[in-house]
Amino acid sequence: MSKFQDKTTGLLTNVDLKSARGKILYWILFAILIACCLITFLPAVWTVFTALKDPNEIYTSTKFFPEHLSWHIFVTRVADSWNQLKFGRSIINTFYYSAVAWALKLGVCTFAGYAFSKLKPKGSTMVFILILWTMMMPSQMRTVPNYISYLSFPFASRTEFGIGINLLNTYWPLWLGGAVDAFAIMLFKNAFDAVSNSIVEAATIDGAGKLQIFFKIMVPLSVPIIIYESIMTLSGAWSNFFGPYLIIQDTTKQLLPAKIFMMGNDGTVKQNTYLMGLIIAAMPQLIIFAFFKRYIMGGINIGGVKG
Amino acid sequence: MRNKNDGRAKKLNRGGFQKRTFITSWLFAVPALILMYLFIWRPTVMGFVWSLFKMKGYSPTYFIGIKNYVEVMKDTQFIPLFINTLEYVFWSLVVGFLPPVLLAVVVNEMVHFKQKIMTLLYLPAIIPAIAVSLLWKQMYDPTEIGLLNMILVKFGMSPYQWLNDAHFTILWIVVSMTWKSFPGTMLLYYSALQGVNQELYEAATIDGAGILKRAWYVTRPQIMGVLILNFVRQIIGVFQVMEQPLAMTGGGPDGASASLGYQLYKYGFVTQRVGHAMALGTIIFVVLIFMTIFYFKLNRKLEESL
Repeated sequence: MSKFQDKTTGLLTNVDLKSARGKILYWILFAILIACCLITFLPAVWTVFTALKDPNEIYTSTKFFPEHLSWHIFVTRVADSWNQLKFGRSIINTFYYSAVAWALKLGVCTFAGYAFSKLKPKGSTMVFILILWTMMMPSQMRTVPNYISYLSFPFASRTEFGIGINLLNTYWPLWLGGAVDAFAIMLFKNAFDAVSNSIVEAATIDGAGKLQIFFKIMVPLSVPIIIYESIMTLSGAWSNFFGPYLIIQDTTKQLLPAKIFMMGNDGTVKQNTYLMGLIIAAMPQLIIFAFFKRYIMGGINIGGVKG
Repeated sequence: MRNKNDGRAKKLNRGGFQKRTFITSWLFAVPALILMYLFIWRPTVMGFVWSLFKMKGYSPTYFIGIKNYVEVMKDTQFIPLFINTLEYVFWSLVVGFLPPVLLAVVVNEMVHFKQKIMTLLYLPAIIPAIAVSLLWKQMYDPTEIGLLNMILVKFGMSPYQWLNDAHFTILWIVVSMTWKSFPGTMLLYYSALQGVNQELYEAATIDGAGILKRAWYVTRPQIMGVLILNFVRQIIGVFQVMEQPLAMTGGGPDGASASLGYQLYKYGFVTQRVGHAMALGTIIFVVLIFMTIFYFKLNRKLEESL
């Protein structure tokens, strides 16, 4: 009960929690939260159990738990699903795609954030406002015009003249289009704004150039926000479905989200294998989350204040 | 004489230095600006320009004025699709707007297992959106192999059609979207709640305000800005819904879950009516820009009232 006494802030304070009514209310709210956790967790648990069921079992038994479960069955199920789904190629592709997407986006957006935060050449404030406005622009309108421009990049409509490069079936439209993100630029600008000007001035007097200041001062002092944005970029790239689905038709270049979408349309894939496919697809992000939970939960605070 | 020259040389040199600084400073922003031009500004403008052209495949041929717009609006599907889209927005506000706020407020009050509960609640946000859609499609399976029907049968009810029930397909899709998106929104509110002035609670308590009154008169006004922002962002986001109907229902049953965004996809990439796709894109854009302006008006009013 000491936990209640220590609670001096918030909507429910220790004064409320002394009374029986306050305590009942608290535990009712607690129960509601547990119920919500159940709602978020039950589908995941069901997915795992169904994925481990025997192929004959899924359509005959409506039990929640698999009838037989052992380490051997677990390994067999994973191996069988893996062999049937053939995700290997697309997983390697997705790793490759995400890595380059991450490097490009971080490079482009941190540089831009640096320019708008510390360098501030004449006219940059106006341009930054323009960038903030682009955040407000609905994205759906760009789907088709962008696709047209990929056909003969960067000249867009001149497909008939045969100049420009056809970017379809390459990762370039995804990399380049994903590299610029107004929100990330704003995030980095705010992070760099927090770096004291006197440090930058001292470094300038010592003869440091702009690039040196960027790599030796700005980046090291903004590590949490860079990690946060890295996680967001990597998991965004990992789950990017629609763009790759349109652009990459070549099956050897296919990315994982498009691949699991195809799996969804494939009638020969049984439910247990299908769900195993979803687990495999979600795995990397779960691992990232397990390691970087602190940054994800903390980083959104930083973004959220601005949002 | 000598001094004067020196001064001039210094000045010239300084001018050159400043010019160089100006150029090198801009160079840092140039990649972002070029990409933004190529992938955001130009396609937005060209989408409008090309919507006024007759498209042959993916190439514009000749100017036809607003013909594409007339054809899109005259399509017998246009009004039902618009209504469907509004239905998505409506359900998403009913199902998805308040729960994250309430959950954030409640989690914020917890003294037991607060971090553990947060982590558990955050799970859906980590799963890729397309996997969530496909997972819920399985959970909604109309036979007894789907999770939800499994539960219904356990409680002695008969299996339900879920996504095949044309009246509520959109609601069920929205439920799956909410499941995916609420943890992120909840975190946003949670961080907003950290900024609430705690002294006001004390003052309100001393004045004899009950818990509900405190929530309404102290908590609510202080997170109002984030609330409105999310309200508008949610409308704008859901109005463009496309992947979920594509992955879960294919717009079915019988067009009951097709949205304007889904129609745009079909115009642009399935039925090859590219001009129509861009006209529809422009219509969606205009509707949403009005929403955004409305948001800024509302926000200004709120700021004035505070």
